[in-house]
Amino acid sequence: MNESHPPAREPRDMPPGSPRILPHAAVPAPPFTSPAPPGPAGPSPVPIGGRAEQAFDPPAGMVWARVSPRLTWHRRIAVLLWALPITIVGAFVLARASGLLGGLIWLGVIVVACAMGWIVAELVYRSWGFAERADDLLVTHGFFVKHLVVVPYGRMQYVDVTAGLLEQWLGVATVRLHTAAAATDARIPGLPARDAAVLRDRLAQKGESRSIGL
Amino acid sequence: MNAGPPGYGPYGRPIFTPPPYGPPGSPYPPPGSPYGQVPYGPPPPPPVHFSRGVHRLHVSTAVISALSVLVIVFVLGGYTLLLGQTADGVEVILTPRSIARFLLVMMPVAAVAAIIGFWTWWSLKFHISGDDLVVDTGIVRRRNRRIPLSHIQAVDVVRPLVTRVFGLAEVRVELAGGDQAETRFRYLGRAMAEQLRAELLARAAGLPGHTPEAPEHPYWRVWFGTLLGSQLLKLPVIGGLMLLVALLAFGVVFRELGVLAAALPVLLGLARGVVAPLVMHARFKAAVSPDGLRLRYGLMETRMQTVPPGRVQAVRVVEPLLWRSFGWARLDVTVAGYVGDRQALSSVLLPVAPRRVAFHLVGMVFPGTDAEAVRLLPAPRSLRSPFGRSAAGTDDAVFVTQRGRVCRRLDVIAHARAQSVRMTSGPLQRLLGLGTVHVDAPPGPVQVAAENRELGEARAIVESAAERAHRARATDQRTDRWAT
Repeated sequence: MNESHPPAREPRDMPPGSPRILPHAAVPAPPFTSPAPPGPAGPSPVPIGGRAEQAFDPPAGMVWARVSPRLTWHRRIAVLLWALPITIVGAFVLARASGLLGGLIWLGVIVVACAMGWIVAELVYRSWGFAERADDLLVTHGFFVKHLVVVPYGRMQYVDVTAGLLEQWLGVATVRLHTAAAATDARIPGLPARDAAVLRDRLAQKGESRSIGL
Repeated sequence: MNAGPPGYGPYGRPIFTPPPYGPPGSPYPPPGSPYGQVPYGPPPPPPVHFSRGVHRLHVSTAVISALSVLVIVFVLGGYTLLLGQTADGVEVILTPRSIARFLLVMMPVAAVAAIIGFWTWWSLKFHISGDDLVVDTGIVRRRNRRIPLSHIQAVDVVRPLVTRVFGLAEVRVELAGGDQAETRFRYLGRAMAEQLRAELLARAAGLPGHTPEAPEHPYWRVWFGTLLGSQLLKLPVIGGLMLLVALLAFGVVFRELGVLAAALPVLLGLARGVVAPLVMHARFKAAVSPDGLRLRYGLMETRMQTVPPGRVQAVRVVEPLLWRSFGWARLDVTVAGYVGDRQALSSVLLPVAPRRVAFHLVGMVFPGTDAEAVRLLPAPRSLRSPFGRSAAGTDDAVFVTQRGRVCRRLDVIAHARAQSVRMTSGPLQRLLGLGTVHVDAPPGPVQVAAENRELGEARAIVESAAERAHRARATDQRTDRWAT
């Protein structure tokens, strides 16, 4: 397997039920009707949304490929890293201005906000999904505002993989697709670093074979 | 129709085959005589072979940049040498002594300026090599840029007022891509600029470099009165004028000069909103030729824009409330090459024209389509759209959306040009079971979005748009060699 990743972590990178994106041959997803066995580790592999959200379902006969659950932790750690300085500065200012009570209220607000961020991180993670069709890539995400992007491979100008410090530490990366339209914004965060590189190469290859300029 | 010289055989694509005079059944007089078949340039200049040897900008460029350096130095401090203290205070003294002092300082400055001017002129070289335009800049730090001619999105010839006196013109070659993707030649001689433009377009079309300029047919011209009327007949302009009159009346009646402080910004706003477009788009003429749409306009700074076939990404037909009784419309476009501030300058395809003409032109930039005939389906009534419902429609060639009740905007994108299809649904929209479908175009004034569709329908729109785009791309002719 990979040198940089201990092999023991690989099976847990993607929740069970996700189509494996690593080998090229595994892309045709299992049929929609066969639910994957719910594993104890990952979250349930239900397609995002319920019956009211048919609109954001995966294309017929496919399931959304999921991103790594480490994306949740990436977001949670980011929330904590943001919360820390805000808590300290805010509590200090409020404690100076209105005594201990103000500081405590501030602390309470921060704790509630962090708890919400904690939950939202999980929900946002569950909302991410992508599917590679024959001619285009579908990406869906968003908890408050739902998005569904369809990017034809022929329109991709370039694909890049980015990983911030925190992402590197968690071993995940973001694959970003660029078209001539700035509004496209098709990105897939939280892929294990190796999968991200493989996906990028595959997308770039598909894009090249179908490229049509502007 | 293709009555040009024999060299125009390969141009015979139906894409820009124009009607003889304007759109069918035009009630307007055929604008034929003001610009005949001899488009521009007084005598035919000797042809320049851009593919042979190395070419430079016009020599006067050196003089102009030297002069501009001199003027800057003079304004920044040079003029103080001519000042002197007299009994009345500081004033200009022109004694031999002060003039000698002035010259003593300014002569070396002039020498330096001359060197700088010569340097900037000498350092830029260009030629056409095969399928590339090669531009060398810099002497100390060399930079060599090869521009594949097939990537050219548009070629503009701009003649600012000052350089018109010298008979110079600037050539701008626009490529798709960021702000750096533009190549400017400032300045070339006027005839050379026209030839460079013609040769770039001919070669980009896949024709031999010395094909004479493609013939053009006048398509439409905007009379100044129409332009003036259209700029005045806008609700914000009328509101601004009324505010201005009210403020001035208030000032006169109550003898209060303070209103000027309020009137001045209004006046500036009006100048920006009315005078600027007037100056910019005065003498607007559109012509069609096999190598694209040619637009000529401008009072102070004349521009000649050429948009080759297939370079228009999306168009918008804008009909403000007061224009509709006259049947006027404006046509905005997104061309991939224009970004940033150039976008605002170059995004108007027709400043004002009858609605029918605007739609006819839409049919010409997206050949084989009829945007007006596309049946529009209004979005379901919802709480979120108090200003009229949006509507959307599609056929196999174009995706059309309509928005706005006061200022009606019709956005059109060809499926073959769609970059991606998106569906978004905010919290409130989801509560109402609605979603918005965007068909993305490159950055520009036109953004196509079918707002507030029912979610199930929205998904169906997404799937059908993606499918149609796929089919359209498969059948779309490549546009990088449009004449071959």
